Amino acid sequence: MHSETYGDAAERTNLEHIHLPAPTYWPFVFSFGLMLIFAGLATHWIVGVTGLVIAARGAFGWWRTVIPIELHEDVPIDLLRRPAPISIEGRSVIRLKLGEADHRARIPVEVHPYTAGIWGGLIGGIVMAGLACLYGLIAQHSIWWPVNLLAGVVLPSIGNASDDQLRAFNGLAFFVALGGHVVMSALVGLVYSVMLPMFPKYAPFWAGVMMPLLWSAFIATSLSIVNPALNSRINWYAFVACQLGFGVVGGYVIARSTRIHTYQSLGFAQRAGLEVTPGGHRQEKP
Amino acid sequence: MASVSSALVPPVIDPAQWKLPDRGIIGIACLIITESALFSIFVVGYIFYIGKSLNGPYPKDVLHFPVLGTIALLSSSVTIVIAERALEHGRRALFQLWWIVTILLGAFFLGSTAMEWHQLIVNEHLTISTNLFGTTFYSLVGLHASHVIVGLLFLLLVGAVTLFGFPIETQKRRVMFLSWYWHFVDVVWIIVFTVVYIVGR
Amino acid sequence: MGSTDYPLDRQDAHQDVHQAIRPYVHSDKLSFSDALYVIVTTVDHKKLGLMYIVASLIFLVIAGLMASVMRLQLAFPNGHVVSPATFNRLFTMHGTTMVFLVGMPLLAGFANYLIPLMIGARDMAFPRLNAFGFWIFLFGGFLLYFSYVGGGGLQGAGSAPDVGWFAYSPLTERAFSRGLSTDYWTLGVLCSGIGSLASALNVIATVASMRCPGMTLSRMPMFVWLMLVDSWLILIALPPLSAAQIMLMLDRYLGAHFFDTQNGGSAILWQHFFWIFGHPEVYILIFPAFGILSEVIPIFSRKPIFGRPAMVAAAVAIGFISLSVWAHHMFAVGLDSASNIFFAAATMMVGVPTGIKIFNWLATMYGGKLIFRTPMLFCIAFLFQFLIAGLTGIMLGVTPFDWQLHDSYFVVAHFHFTLVGGFVFAIFAGMYYWFPKASGRMLSETLGKWHFWLMTVGFNLTFIPLHFVGMMGMPRRIYTYPYGRGWELWNFVASVGVVLQLAAVAIFVWNILQSLGRSDSERSGDDPWNAWTLEWATHSPPPEYNFEKIPVVYSSRPLWDLKHPEDPDWEFE
Repeated sequence: MHSETYGDAAERTNLEHIHLPAPTYWPFVFSFGLMLIFAGLATHWIVGVTGLVIAARGAFGWWRTVIPIELHEDVPIDLLRRPAPISIEGRSVIRLKLGEADHRARIPVEVHPYTAGIWGGLIGGIVMAGLACLYGLIAQHSIWWPVNLLAGVVLPSIGNASDDQLRAFNGLAFFVALGGHVVMSALVGLVYSVMLPMFPKYAPFWAGVMMPLLWSAFIATSLSIVNPALNSRINWYAFVACQLGFGVVGGYVIARSTRIHTYQSLGFAQRAGLEVTPGGHRQEKP
Repeated sequence: MASVSSALVPPVIDPAQWKLPDRGIIGIACLIITESALFSIFVVGYIFYIGKSLNGPYPKDVLHFPVLGTIALLSSSVTIVIAERALEHGRRALFQLWWIVTILLGAFFLGSTAMEWHQLIVNEHLTISTNLFGTTFYSLVGLHASHVIVGLLFLLLVGAVTLFGFPIETQKRRVMFLSWYWHFVDVVWIIVFTVVYIVGR
Repeated sequence: MGSTDYPLDRQDAHQDVHQAIRPYVHSDKLSFSDALYVIVTTVDHKKLGLMYIVASLIFLVIAGLMASVMRLQLAFPNGHVVSPATFNRLFTMHGTTMVFLVGMPLLAGFANYLIPLMIGARDMAFPRLNAFGFWIFLFGGFLLYFSYVGGGGLQGAGSAPDVGWFAYSPLTERAFSRGLSTDYWTLGVLCSGIGSLASALNVIATVASMRCPGMTLSRMPMFVWLMLVDSWLILIALPPLSAAQIMLMLDRYLGAHFFDTQNGGSAILWQHFFWIFGHPEVYILIFPAFGILSEVIPIFSRKPIFGRPAMVAAAVAIGFISLSVWAHHMFAVGLDSASNIFFAAATMMVGVPTGIKIFNWLATMYGGKLIFRTPMLFCIAFLFQFLIAGLTGIMLGVTPFDWQLHDSYFVVAHFHFTLVGGFVFAIFAGMYYWFPKASGRMLSETLGKWHFWLMTVGFNLTFIPLHFVGMMGMPRRIYTYPYGRGWELWNFVASVGVVLQLAAVAIFVWNILQSLGRSDSERSGDDPWNAWTLEWATHSPPPEYNFEKIPVVYSSRPLWDLKHPEDPDWEFE
């Protein structure tokens, strides 16, 4: 919308004058008087009184520049300071839409299904449990040893149990450990499936090997608080081996699942399945 | 401007429809906010020193609730609104009347504060240097009173120029801003007397 | 023939009286007395902005010389350059001047010059208040420096403040400071503070009510956003200082007992009130630096700023959180554990949005086409130095760590890294970037690079060693130190750095003078940096009315849209 008043930046006007607030020395006078009032406190009361008089006169003068009408002046267009027209940097642009050819794609572009995460977690959990029970059998001649110790996270009685009690089957501990293990395995598997596409190259190494090592290290720092019973009896080599079993096997299961494309160049309605693209099904533009 | 074959057309913006807040409203709002910050520190100081005076006189001994002054000041907020309404409707005489009533009520408040101070200083020997209660009382109430004085000066200015025939109808916005300042002074008084005469006793 | 209306007071009766027609065109040459008249009467935001900046630079040189004398005194153990009393005056005046007479007016100067140009307005919302703010700042500065001659006269350096820039009680009470030094400090700073409040109010009103058509808040330049948040902080954080100073004056003149411990008052209360102002104050100082960086880095990376909304949100977050961290200056005072923990946690939190900003500037540079001209060099140095400053700040925010290093040179090193390595470097970047706009001439790039390298080497040479002596136990505000503590080497190195910094600033001043003085200095044209915001759509220097037509904008990069009609920003914003 163009007029003499509004336009694009750097447009020249045909007006001859522009209305601006008029210059005035009253703010200068008022501020000088105000400063003298302050100065009077540190020097002499006469300075302060002088300041009061000057400030009052300055305030009154300032008042008159604004009331009843704000004083303005018309400033002529400065012919030596006209803006230069803005030149177009000629070039053509091919615009990619979001998601096209990975343009500004939000990674991950392909994701694993949640079900794969849960299955991978459960299967990894079975392997982990198997390895733990194997350890229990070899080291303590009882498959219930690791089960009972795991339940020690929740059941305080485990903390006081003797070694023989830990080798025996304990119904409550079994169900607590089973329930906790299944839930944790599934949840960790779920997190695994979400994170796997975001790992760098050789994801199975990073995810399957490094992550279990990292969370084992983290557990090592906190186990004395979380599960003292396990902490005093734990064999770290076996523990880490169990975690690695989970990571490698679970990761393998998840990685083998078919990946789902996120179709980022499509709008939400199409991705949600509410609308259909011209081809009749979801398809990405090339 | 040359049109390039692939040039696109921006959405239409009509400058006449471009409405922004009034700078005067923003200005007076900022002034009120900054003055509130100033008063907050004095109020915090007052509250911090409640009960900490090393010697008397103590608040419960000498403080009496300033009923009349408070009523006067709070009513002046009402009368100033009445005056503004009169100005809105162009009733100049009515505006002048209620404006003068506002000034008188404000002056009455100042007078009652002055009398209370006189009584405290001369009879109860409570000065700003007597104890912590004196320090915080006089500074907080005094800061408020100084703001009342400034407000009264501006009210007097407006009243005087109106009396001398100035076309006050052209300054409705500015009169409104002054009344906002006056309402602010009132709200501060509510906080001050709550802290000093109710909580602090 | 017609004219555009300014400002647009729609509700009052429309007074279309043309009171005056300017007799001369702005670019005519003026006589000295005419120029003086223009200076005293101007309400033009550009002139006032330049006046703020010139005054600040003069105070910067004065306070810098004070620092140089201090570093000369501290270069060797058992120094005899100045007496202890003089040394106290030096560090007090250095700090007070740098914060109130250099930092605050520089930010007011940049804000007042740039904001109307950036939002497509002809002037600030309250032009006369703008003038008042400048003059009361300047007169406040004069009052502060008058202390050198007031009172005892020049012998013994008069009554210049000597109580530290933060003027702790009970030292400042009448009983312990019998002269007028505290009074001059209080009155000078009170005076200048009124100017800062006026400026802040003006910025908020201008940004709220005078943006050009189409410029919604989300299309405002980053510098304007940061100055808006900055002005809110000033409005809220400056009154506590004024209140505390009024209380101090009541103590000193009327016998009040606010901070008078002998009558039940609390010296700690002063510290609380001062730092409730003092901590937001340092954020008030650094926000314009953030704003300058957010303007300069995108242009010299040829990329729009990364994460615009996050940058604005981070600024607002820093503003809020900064109001709640003040007692990290008081860890060594003996507050209770709960308070210490709260303030330590809040201090940690304020690092998060600051970190977001640093990451976003880096992300702006990543993948961009970097142009290493002087403004960009200063910005890059800022990133390194402010990072170090932020890290040492977080370290100091850990209460037990602070118990060891409170009042040591480690703290001095930290805040000089933020204020010099951060604020001053960003100001230099801004000067080199906008000097062509304000004057129509380019500054010499060669001199600029000399300035940059001397400043960077000198600054780091001075302030990195101060971390070490701080950790070795050297306290602040001591006028000398003995042999044998291991402080000698680093103090000497620090003092050597001062020489380089003085040379750098001298080159900078020379750069400005030679560019303005020579008739053959390179002309800048309207838009030397190929930039995108509205100030570059005017002549350099702009005419008094800024724009012949008020621009209508459609995106946050209006000039980009005009230069690239086939690829405008408003398609994506």
